[in-house]
Amino acid sequence: MKLNDQIKKSFSNQIVYLFGISISFFILGTILLFYIQNELNDKYIEEREQIVYERNLLIKINDLYDTTFIDMLSYSELITPQMESKLLSQEEEIEKLTTALEIPLETYKVDGVNTDMIREFSADFFTVLLPSYLARNENGDNQQLDEFSNEQIEKFRESMLNSIMLVGKQLENNVKKLSVYTTYIQIAFIVFILIFLFVLQRIIKRIFKNIGEPLAKFAFAANEIAAGRDAVIQTYPERKDELGLLSIAFQKMVSTLQVKEQDLIAHNEELLAQQDELQAGQDQLQETLGTLLENEKKLTNHSALINGISTSLDKKEVLNSIVSNMCKITFSDSGMIALLYENSYASSGVSETGARQFISNLHSGLNQRLIETKKAFVIKREQDISEKGYHEAINYSYDLYLPILTTTSQKVEAIMVYSRFGYPYTDKEIEEYETLTKQIAISLDKIKLYERSEEARSINQDILNTVQEGIQLIDQNRNIIQVNHQLYEMFDSLGEEDVLSFSWSQWSSKLGEKIKDKQFIFNLDEAISAALRGNDEKSTFIYQLKENSHVIQVYCKKIVNEGKAAGTIIVHRDITKEFEVDQMKSEFVSTVSHELRTPLASVLGFTELLLHKELKPERKTKYLNTIYSEAKRLSALINDFLDIQRMESGKQSYEKKYIDIRPIWETVIENQQVQTLIHQIHLSVDTEQTRILGDKEKIQQIFTNVLSNAMKYSPKGGNIYIHLYENEHSLIIDVKDEGLGIPKESIPHLFEKFYRIDNTDHRQIGGTGLGLSIVAEIVKIHDGTITVDSQIGEGSTFTLTFPKINIKKEDKQFAPDKDNSLSIHHDVVIIEDDLSLADLLFQELTSSGFQVSCFNNGQAALNHIKASPPDALVLDIKLEENEIDGWTIMNELKQDEQLKQIPIFISSAFDEQERGYSLGAQDFLVKPYSPSKLSKVIMQTLLENGKQGQIMIPKQEE
Amino acid sequence: MKKILLAEDEAVLRMLVVDTLEDEGYEVVEAADGQEALDLFNPGEFDLLILDYMMPIFSGLDVIKKIRSTENGSRVKILMLSAKSQQNEQDRILEAGADYFMSKPFSPIKLIERVEEIIDEA
Repeated sequence: MKLNDQIKKSFSNQIVYLFGISISFFILGTILLFYIQNELNDKYIEEREQIVYERNLLIKINDLYDTTFIDMLSYSELITPQMESKLLSQEEEIEKLTTALEIPLETYKVDGVNTDMIREFSADFFTVLLPSYLARNENGDNQQLDEFSNEQIEKFRESMLNSIMLVGKQLENNVKKLSVYTTYIQIAFIVFILIFLFVLQRIIKRIFKNIGEPLAKFAFAANEIAAGRDAVIQTYPERKDELGLLSIAFQKMVSTLQVKEQDLIAHNEELLAQQDELQAGQDQLQETLGTLLENEKKLTNHSALINGISTSLDKKEVLNSIVSNMCKITFSDSGMIALLYENSYASSGVSETGARQFISNLHSGLNQRLIETKKAFVIKREQDISEKGYHEAINYSYDLYLPILTTTSQKVEAIMVYSRFGYPYTDKEIEEYETLTKQIAISLDKIKLYERSEEARSINQDILNTVQEGIQLIDQNRNIIQVNHQLYEMFDSLGEEDVLSFSWSQWSSKLGEKIKDKQFIFNLDEAISAALRGNDEKSTFIYQLKENSHVIQVYCKKIVNEGKAAGTIIVHRDITKEFEVDQMKSEFVSTVSHELRTPLASVLGFTELLLHKELKPERKTKYLNTIYSEAKRLSALINDFLDIQRMESGKQSYEKKYIDIRPIWETVIENQQVQTLIHQIHLSVDTEQTRILGDKEKIQQIFTNVLSNAMKYSPKGGNIYIHLYENEHSLIIDVKDEGLGIPKESIPHLFEKFYRIDNTDHRQIGGTGLGLSIVAEIVKIHDGTITVDSQIGEGSTFTLTFPKINIKKEDKQFAPDKDNSLSIHHDVVIIEDDLSLADLLFQELTSSGFQVSCFNNGQAALNHIKASPPDALVLDIKLEENEIDGWTIMNELKQDEQLKQIPIFISSAFDEQERGYSLGAQDFLVKPYSPSKLSKVIMQTLLENGKQGQIMIPKQEE
Repeated sequence: MKKILLAEDEAVLRMLVVDTLEDEGYEVVEAADGQEALDLFNPGEFDLLILDYMMPIFSGLDVIKKIRSTENGSRVKILMLSAKSQQNEQDRILEAGADYFMSKPFSPIKLIERVEEIIDEA
């Protein structure tokens, strides 16, 4: 009962219960069927085994007999007692098998097995047939079996075969029987399954009917209720299962629902009211969001503007970004920005012509108003045709003028104009834009600053690159900060780009590779450290480049920035030129010293001999003459040196006159020829005009130098040809020798100071290396040229040219040269007790065209002067002892009315110029002086006096 | 009579040396340049060679080198006269094979003493 209740309470229980019963029933039926099948199988196997066993026995018996028969027949002729006993023993075997055949199985009886027949034949065969057969054979009666025995055996074999066949048939029947049983069982199983399914179907249908019907009713009722109609809800209070409970619950629910619905309707009305309210709120929010988005867009535009002006320092770029961003911010269709004081502008939506037009009126019209008021304003105007497009009616455009004021002085520095089609700019907008112009002003200031610092930087770099020195800047940690262009050039193959990324050690070893001195890197380090210590002496050193042997001086200096060491500047200065000049100078000094030593050796040597030895008078004279000439040589050398010094310092003065070079050449040749025996000097003159404007003394020096050079460099002697001729513009002198010749590579340097041809042939010939440079210098002063043509081993030709002069234009007053002076005959008296000097002066003045009288005695001279007053007097002050001195003579002359105007030139070793001039001397020459100087000053004085109409006493007039 | 070969391109100095030494009783053979000196040089003939440094064709240094490189030239005494008085020049001269060195300008009296010394030594 209890179980029944449980089942009735729940559908799931009912289903489980029914399924349980069905499955049990099904399993039971199946087991039963399997059992029967099994039984049949077992029985079949048992029968089959029996049949097979008996058949095998029969076959064995048959085989045994067959063997026996065959043995019997085949061995009939050779029958032995062993054979006989073997044949007889077969009987026992057959008897055993027959007995086994006789024991029947309990369950099954095999048909057709006739043991009696076998026993009967066995008895006959072994007792009768075989023994008789054997007996006959023994007796030699070798006959076949008799007819009867044969028949018997045949019969037996046939019946045996029959038996075996029968048994085989039974085996077949047995199999057939089994398959029939199996078929029955299978059919029974199918029938069982069908019955089972049918019952199951009925049960399930019943269950679903019990559940489905009430559920359908509920569904209908629920639908009705949902549709708002009244519905009868059937209850099943009698049912104890879920449906029963459900129906009751459903009914309760429906009644509750009906009550709640009333509530809901009321509530719903309330909700509807609230919804309206919400809608209004949302609309408001939407509106706020719109404003927010607009603000965001504005902010984005503003930040784009700020971004544009702050991310670049390129003016053009920044101006462009200002215009395009401002157009966006102001919602303008076109716009422009222009800097007032620089030619820079940018535009957007404006044609090139428009922009130019605007720029050209930058300081006038509306712009002027903007510059003055510094306030933004808007202009309303009719749209022009391009703006109007296809509109016919009158439309307006608005131009907004915005000033950008400098942050410091609040002056207008730039103007912006933006145009908008159709709708005006509001005051609020303009205010906003004016704030933005402040930002723009700041960015323009920044650019200006940047440009200024860029300019300064570039000037610095330019300065660095312009200086001749290679300059490198390193910081405290020896990082390379800056390197100027010259340094790259010094170190030819250094890549300009890489250097700044080099470490110090990379850099210095790279330099080291290019430098001869192995100590370079060490020296550089030392110099830098010394510079940092402030030791200027040790912060410099010199090195030489491998590539071109240039000599470079390095010096390092500490850089101090705001009181702190900021780095080191390393300057590489190419001092090759100075170095070479230095070397040349020291070589020159050593050459000069050598050149001076040779004549000095003679002077000292001979002097020593004169002093220490008793010598014959002629030897004394010889030595003295030698000393004299060697001393002259010395002084010539010294003069060369001094000349160069003077020329170098520009102190050399030239007294140019019209002079005839032919007699000069003659003198020079005469002087030189005396000094040589191996050279023959030839002068040929192919022109009548041999005069030039020049300083006679210097010209003579040139000729002497050129000629003595020609002699010096033809050490084996030979001819020297001097040829004077002219062309259209010049007087030309060729000096041709047959000497060593000059190497081609030396020719361009020949006239350089201190230059000497560097080969053994030439080296062995002494010289100061100054002669030709003096010559070149003097020739240049005379507007002439000097050139050389030379062939090594064959000789050289030096060619001098001087500008030709036109005689007809000659001003006689200014050309008191030799020829002219001859017609005037100026007398000069020399009073000099030093005979050699007197001779020297005599020579000089005579060669300058004066008539000269010499006196070494003061009184005699005075007498001569009084008797025949000269045009000039050269007076030595200190005369021989017991004689009247120069001062006395001078006083006497100055007191004589007739004679006091004779110009007196004092020639004295003592510097008593003041006294001389106070007594009325014309000029005062301190010994030693150049004799030519004397003739020059006399000439000058006489010329001046002549011009002033003062005393000019030509010889003829006397 | 002791025989001396003198090579000096400067005639004046040649005269100075010749006169000085001849007065002392030496026989002096003169050469005006290095080539001439080499031509005149005969091993065994001269007791002393007096050479100038700076001479045409062959310098005194060349002459020394040439003479020293010949078989019998290695024994002859050589006195070098030179205006190049720097120490390094002197060293070069002595290295090249000169035995003695006198710088120009020189004292003839000293030269005599020197020559006497050298010849006595030999």
